[in-house]
Amino acid sequence: MAAAVAVPEDDRAVRRGRVGTALAGLAKSSAFTIFLIDVGLIILFTAVSPGNRFGSLQNFESLMYYSMVALLLALGMTIVVAAEMIDLSLGANLILSSVFGVIVLEQMGATSPDGVVSGHVDAIIVALLTCLATGLAFGFINGLLITKLGVTSLIATLGTLSIGTGIALVLTNGTDRYGLTSTMQDEFGIKQLGPFPVPMLLALAIALILSVVLRYTAFGTRTLAIGSNPIAAQRAGIRVDRHRIILLMISGLLAGLAGFVDLSVYLQTAVTSHVLDPLNALTAVVIGGTALTGGRASIAGTIWGCFLAAILLNGLIVLGITSFYQQIATGAILIAAVALDHFRTTRRLRVIRDRGDGGAQKAPSPNNQKEQ
Amino acid sequence: MTATPSVPEVPPAIAGSHLSKQFGSVQALVDASVSVQPGEVVALVGDNGAGKSTFLNCLIGVHQPDSGEITVKGQPVQFSSVRDAQRLGVDCVYQDLALAPDLSVVDNMYLGHEVHQRGLRGRLGLLARREMIERADDQLRSLSITLPSLRVPVRELSGGQRQAVAVARAVMWASSAVFMDEPTAALGARQSEIVCELMRAVAARGLGVLVVSHDLPRILKVADRVSILWRGRTVREADARDVSVPDIVAAMVGYHEDVA
Repeated sequence: MAAAVAVPEDDRAVRRGRVGTALAGLAKSSAFTIFLIDVGLIILFTAVSPGNRFGSLQNFESLMYYSMVALLLALGMTIVVAAEMIDLSLGANLILSSVFGVIVLEQMGATSPDGVVSGHVDAIIVALLTCLATGLAFGFINGLLITKLGVTSLIATLGTLSIGTGIALVLTNGTDRYGLTSTMQDEFGIKQLGPFPVPMLLALAIALILSVVLRYTAFGTRTLAIGSNPIAAQRAGIRVDRHRIILLMISGLLAGLAGFVDLSVYLQTAVTSHVLDPLNALTAVVIGGTALTGGRASIAGTIWGCFLAAILLNGLIVLGITSFYQQIATGAILIAAVALDHFRTTRRLRVIRDRGDGGAQKAPSPNNQKEQ
Repeated sequence: MTATPSVPEVPPAIAGSHLSKQFGSVQALVDASVSVQPGEVVALVGDNGAGKSTFLNCLIGVHQPDSGEITVKGQPVQFSSVRDAQRLGVDCVYQDLALAPDLSVVDNMYLGHEVHQRGLRGRLGLLARREMIERADDQLRSLSITLPSLRVPVRELSGGQRQAVAVARAVMWASSAVFMDEPTAALGARQSEIVCELMRAVAARGLGVLVVSHDLPRILKVADRVSILWRGRTVREADARDVSVPDIVAAMVGYHEDVA
């Protein structure tokens, strides 16, 4: 018996090659589209702001300060969403991590509620490690709840959002702690290399690493495989539960780092804010082209999505328009971005269906048998 | 059709003998046996509820049989998971294909078997994607499968092309036997023919092929032997040339058992 087997590759397949490539390029351009919108808005706001104030270096720096914590959370959210999960507890994690960090600083005498205190580098390092460990543990608990109890990630993290915030409020009696050692601000929080705050550079470095991991490593491929078809991943021998726990621990670790950054910039806790941060992070992630259904993720898109929110907020402030409009604009862009993505996907699939052999049940035309 | 390669010295690629499996009060398998020689295509047929899926799942490590013995290349084995079976060169093409639609053809073929670069880059976890593409391309070529590109997401392939990718992946990692669960169920007539030819191509590489199918006329043409399950028992094993579709249907609905 000859092993002559040909899978349909007729003239339509060749034609599709070109159309497919063009459409694949379009599909990948979600991130690029948002980047163009960012650039357009920067130009627009610069042109119309009094004295082109929006385009000033000083304003650029304040954009960075505004978006660096948001970016850290959004990066964690991206890899979690890539595996078809969601982490609503990132803000609570940030708060709880920063509270534990402050407790460590207090215990080691690195705080002074009334006066000014500096130094205590050892206490700062222990506080950093505490923040990271808290974030990691928070993520680990989320992972256990999701994989071992079988609670969906939405519900599990909604629960830990409430629990984490509650613990932070109990520990602090609901009042913020002030007067942390200014060394952590001078040497980290507001330290700059050129126009770039150090925490922002750190966030961008992490973004670069995550981008490489998602695209060029087995870990990244497996993450997207789990998001795309968890059963297929399981059957391919991937430890899906373990992988999911690790992803949630990474996003937790980034939330812990965000907690330390928050402390370093403001030298105080913010126990009643940050609760909406995960939703803002999710907005940035989805605007950037990461599919909420998993399997497709763009770190670059997440960066541009974070900047979009910051640019809108900052631009409206510079123009003297109430910043409440930023929320309206961001919401509208979110819906538009998802609608556009949906449009692209359905159009692409329609092209495949039009090839005739896309619908599995459809009998293909006889002329695409390739004789060998 | 090719003759049955029943050389006695060669141990079967995979064999299950006298397997039974009970789920609660349901005796899904009573006494099921099958043996697939290297290079042979064996069709496993039976009515709905006859225990085909349970039998297959026992042979691939999804379920553990309550009694009976499984051998791979003559060696008795016990699979506690699909991974155990894969390690011994037994792979499966699932009915739903188990592909990740968002991943490219090459990433799907290497899922769980990724190849890393050499040296430091590899230790950092970087994939040798160029090498992976070359090897996947060789694999597809050797089965005479042509695809527009190995970098396109599987989502953008046709039903027949997806089936071909799933088969090529299983063959790539299998060294003993490949199972196929209803490989033609979702395909049109001509694509079904292509998949059947693919089965012969896989067997021609010396792998044992066990196919579960409802498509009796088609599968009878491609298989060397037929094994018929009825209410959890193997009631008949026959050379595919010696049986007709009505014979098989009679055995599938238990006609022979009733007169016996």
